Amino acid sequence: MILNDDIELIDGLPAIFVNSLNAIVIADPHLGYEGVMAAKGMLIPKVNLKHIIKILEECISKTGASRIIVDGDIKNEFSTVELEEFNELKEFLEFIRGKSIEPILIKGNHDNFVERYKEAFKLKVYRQQAELGRYLFFHGEQQPAAKKSEFLIMGHEHPAIAVFNKAGKKEKLRCFLYGKFEKKGLLVMPAINYFAAGTEINMYPKDALLSPIFEKVDVDRMEAIAIGYGSTMSFGKIGKLRKL
Amino acid sequence: MIQQLEQPFTDEQSLAELNPYVRKWFLDNFKELTPPQKYSFKLISEKKNLLIAAPTGSGKTMSAFLSIISRLFDLSLKGELEDRVYCIYISPLKALNNDIYKNLTTPLEEIYQTIVKEKGVDIIKSNIKKVSIAVRTGDTPQSERRKQLIHPPNIFVTTPESLAIILNSEKFLKNLEGLEYVIIDELHELANNKRGVHLSLSAERLLHFCGKEFVRIGLGATLHPIEEAARFLVGYNGDKERDCIVVDASWSKEIDVTVMSPVKDLIYTSGEEIENSMYLEIDRIIKKSKTALIFTNTRSGTERVVFNLKKRFAYGEGIAAHHGSLSKDSRLEVEELLKKGSLKCAVSSTSLELGIDIGSIDNVIQLGSAKSVTRAVQRFGRAGHSFKEVARGEDIVLTRDDLVECTVMMHSAKNKQLDSFTIPKNALDVLAQHIVGMSLADKWDVDDAFALVRNAYPYRSLEKRDFMKLLDYLAGNYVGLESRRVYAKIWYDEKEKTFGKRGRFTKVIYMLNLGTIPDEVAVNVFSTSKKWIGNIEEEFLSRLKQGDIFTLGGRLYKFEYARGTKCYVSEARATAPTIPPWFSEQLPLSYELALEIGRFREKFGNEVKRSIGRFVKGKALQQGVPEKVNAFLGNFPIDENAKDALFGYFAEQLLFAKCMPNDHLIVVESTAEEDSDSRHLIFHSLFGRRVNDALSRIFAMLLGEMLDIDVAILVNDNGFVLSTEENVELNKGVVDDMMSDIITANIVNMLKRNIKKTELMRRRFRHVAARSFMILRNYKGYKITVGRQQVNSQLVMKAAEEIDPDFPIIKEAYREIFEDVMDLERTKEIIANMAKGRVKYKFIKTPSPSPFSHSMITFGHADVVLMKERQEYLKTLHNLVMEKIGARK
Repeated sequence: MILNDDIELIDGLPAIFVNSLNAIVIADPHLGYEGVMAAKGMLIPKVNLKHIIKILEECISKTGASRIIVDGDIKNEFSTVELEEFNELKEFLEFIRGKSIEPILIKGNHDNFVERYKEAFKLKVYRQQAELGRYLFFHGEQQPAAKKSEFLIMGHEHPAIAVFNKAGKKEKLRCFLYGKFEKKGLLVMPAINYFAAGTEINMYPKDALLSPIFEKVDVDRMEAIAIGYGSTMSFGKIGKLRKL
Repeated sequence: MIQQLEQPFTDEQSLAELNPYVRKWFLDNFKELTPPQKYSFKLISEKKNLLIAAPTGSGKTMSAFLSIISRLFDLSLKGELEDRVYCIYISPLKALNNDIYKNLTTPLEEIYQTIVKEKGVDIIKSNIKKVSIAVRTGDTPQSERRKQLIHPPNIFVTTPESLAIILNSEKFLKNLEGLEYVIIDELHELANNKRGVHLSLSAERLLHFCGKEFVRIGLGATLHPIEEAARFLVGYNGDKERDCIVVDASWSKEIDVTVMSPVKDLIYTSGEEIENSMYLEIDRIIKKSKTALIFTNTRSGTERVVFNLKKRFAYGEGIAAHHGSLSKDSRLEVEELLKKGSLKCAVSSTSLELGIDIGSIDNVIQLGSAKSVTRAVQRFGRAGHSFKEVARGEDIVLTRDDLVECTVMMHSAKNKQLDSFTIPKNALDVLAQHIVGMSLADKWDVDDAFALVRNAYPYRSLEKRDFMKLLDYLAGNYVGLESRRVYAKIWYDEKEKTFGKRGRFTKVIYMLNLGTIPDEVAVNVFSTSKKWIGNIEEEFLSRLKQGDIFTLGGRLYKFEYARGTKCYVSEARATAPTIPPWFSEQLPLSYELALEIGRFREKFGNEVKRSIGRFVKGKALQQGVPEKVNAFLGNFPIDENAKDALFGYFAEQLLFAKCMPNDHLIVVESTAEEDSDSRHLIFHSLFGRRVNDALSRIFAMLLGEMLDIDVAILVNDNGFVLSTEENVELNKGVVDDMMSDIITANIVNMLKRNIKKTELMRRRFRHVAARSFMILRNYKGYKITVGRQQVNSQLVMKAAEEIDPDFPIIKEAYREIFEDVMDLERTKEIIANMAKGRVKYKFIKTPSPSPFSHSMITFGHADVVLMKERQEYLKTLHNLVMEKIGARK
């Protein structure tokens, strides 16, 4: 789906392609998630990294991008880098570099220690936010400071919407949120992580959302663009979806 | 071989088996042998496996223990009684364990004192020891456990879970080496669920450890089919079924129960009036009893009845509630008061139907339907303490469907027709636990382990392939090599065909997480101002969307939003809920009883039809109950009001719909409601809720696909409703097509597709994953909250399915839903009978829903106290019926 003259939402996937930067953007991979969960006693099968690589392969072949921007939370654990995370991070970067693509990482709240490995992985890491071209990329746990950028792209919130079919059955769909922030464009990315099905934005009160940006942005006036069943489609404003 | 014994031994024969001191004690304390004892004393002395079905108060405990106690005193007198366990007693209830301990301590002490008196100092010289007994449950303190380790009791009283722990406690296990007897009590509470399945494997492991057979004794109140229960008790020894003698003394106590309707007319009498009459009736019964016991089916119902009785009749402290949500202490207090006889009345949801000693009850009142003959017999059987007394009780019904149900139920009880239980077969999650437990104790050859498992009756038909898949799963073969140190619980050598334990923490994980009772999520409901209101089930939460209005604690609330396991609501000004109250707390009607009701509908329907045939339209109804109908109903244990109500109900249905659904005729009614766009197809299919659950989903899918519409389903015991808001014609052609499609449909695949994304599947998957140690409830000292356990269970499920569509945990979740929640086997049977023409269907079109469908349409929910709005709605529906048949009131 074409969002504007520069941004394409890649159909059916939680990823976008920014033409002017020749970059694929994803958010919240939370690599090492299963390993961290296993350490807490939930021995869930490992599928996240495989799932993300599959998505990226499709994105790369569709767009021919030369960069991948990870808009925060590349890994899962807050305080340390667990062995599982380290291994998966390595495999992830090897995959990207194998395709001759440059990885760019925006630091998220789960990435506190990733800078330690910046050197080892020869990784470009931006603290909290980065202005690239016309865009400001930031993770979302803090208010952005946009100077020259015209368009903001964030992650963190893991947005989704709940819709009900006529028989009253609920279905949850991951979605983008698209709207305005201080007269600039704002796009909230859905999580790419396999297990992060997301927060049902249209079922939540506004003050229960995670990111402080929603103190300034009325989420009800944002458009929900949902992903599912191989396509990406606008479902209209959150405010309207609340009344369904 | 399973062999039923019907001829008891004489008292002389039985008593001759006993040690003289034990015999003297018995004769000093009891006048005679009770029916089960007339069999058991001799059979257990002869070391026969034995299953006894007998009602509470029939001396069941002594029937199992006395011969064992006798043998232990024989040993003691010879100076040969060792400090080790000779007998294990297992019951599903801690409270019952404590009762047994108390009830055996006194006789053991008294018998010993007689010996002391007679032998004097010889006691020490000849090393004549006391026969010792001890209890071990999850509540037993560490100090007591240590004591048991140093001085093992001769009789060891425990629960299935504690037994499983002991199987992996090497030190204590040594005390069990010469085990001679295993007693399993309340078998009916174990044989139909996973706790029992778990125990059956524990028994085989225990036997493997002991190296020689022990005597197995099973006790239960009502067991049908009893041979199946016996097989569950004894299992197999390789190719051979172990021998077991079965004694059915369950009908040695007579039951005298009357089904009563508090008013003549259950439709047009106001809810208030029905309620008033009901409470007056209850009050009358309580007043004439020494102690009465009331069963309500639901916890909230229990609370309301206690509240009302106190308010209306000033019972004060003489009345108390007893249900699962109350603290252990307050439940114990009520039990104590009952034993002392100082309560006038106790009200319980289900918790008092089990065998704990509650003293002498002279009247049992059941409100509404107990939903199964077995349960009704068990509940009413609590009345009359000794087996010689008649169990008296009243079954008070509040709706017309309950009335039909209870009439048939109590008639079946009189004719001794019980409904059957089903044992979960080949449960993979329970097996996963035991494989881990086994590997912790030993290194195993795969074939030996498989043979051991198949000796347990619930695993008799286990397939090798499923067993191997479990080994794969437990060995962590579903993740890469590098992660196995965390994931794997066992090692498995494919070449050598052996397996054993793996991982430093595995034993701790095993001990902390074993058991089959799942953690349930109680969703806390708060007002938007964060005030706590109550609990709902997570399954109910998943059906709510913003603005939905539902009842909680008798009040209406509007759903706002949910976060994790918290749900926020506001006060609703509406008059009626928009979403049906959740019925999962309600027990499903048993299949046998459903069929029996079908037969009753046919017979009684014919009787009514003959009597009203000569009347024009509704005139018949004004004449009162015709004589012949009255005579027919005379065979049923019901009061006069009930007869009036039954006749009215059936006559209306016949006059309105001109046909009567029964056990071999499904009536499909196409209808609509006034002032609503909803169109309904109502299936009057009397097969019980577990079958209807499966049938309704298949029909809904067929209908949805045929007409390309969304279909909503309401299920209850007497049928199900498929509804749509779309403008489509639900005519005979549509139903004909569905009926021919269902015969060739692949119903397993359809059901899998249907339940894949439901909350039911998510929840069952989470339970199974926890039982199979995939999602641990307790790990390295952390308790993992249920909220956390359920994190994305749907995605975890999807992930597992991607690895292998037959992943053991997924397979088991489907099995549990198909076989334990629904009844797929019988659903298939019914569809096969439809194909053969043994079960027919008839399509009718009605201007408004027919009387028999009213309770389905009004959410199929009837609690103790009728909801006003529901009753108003019922009246509206009923009015439409009366108008059509020309008998408007």
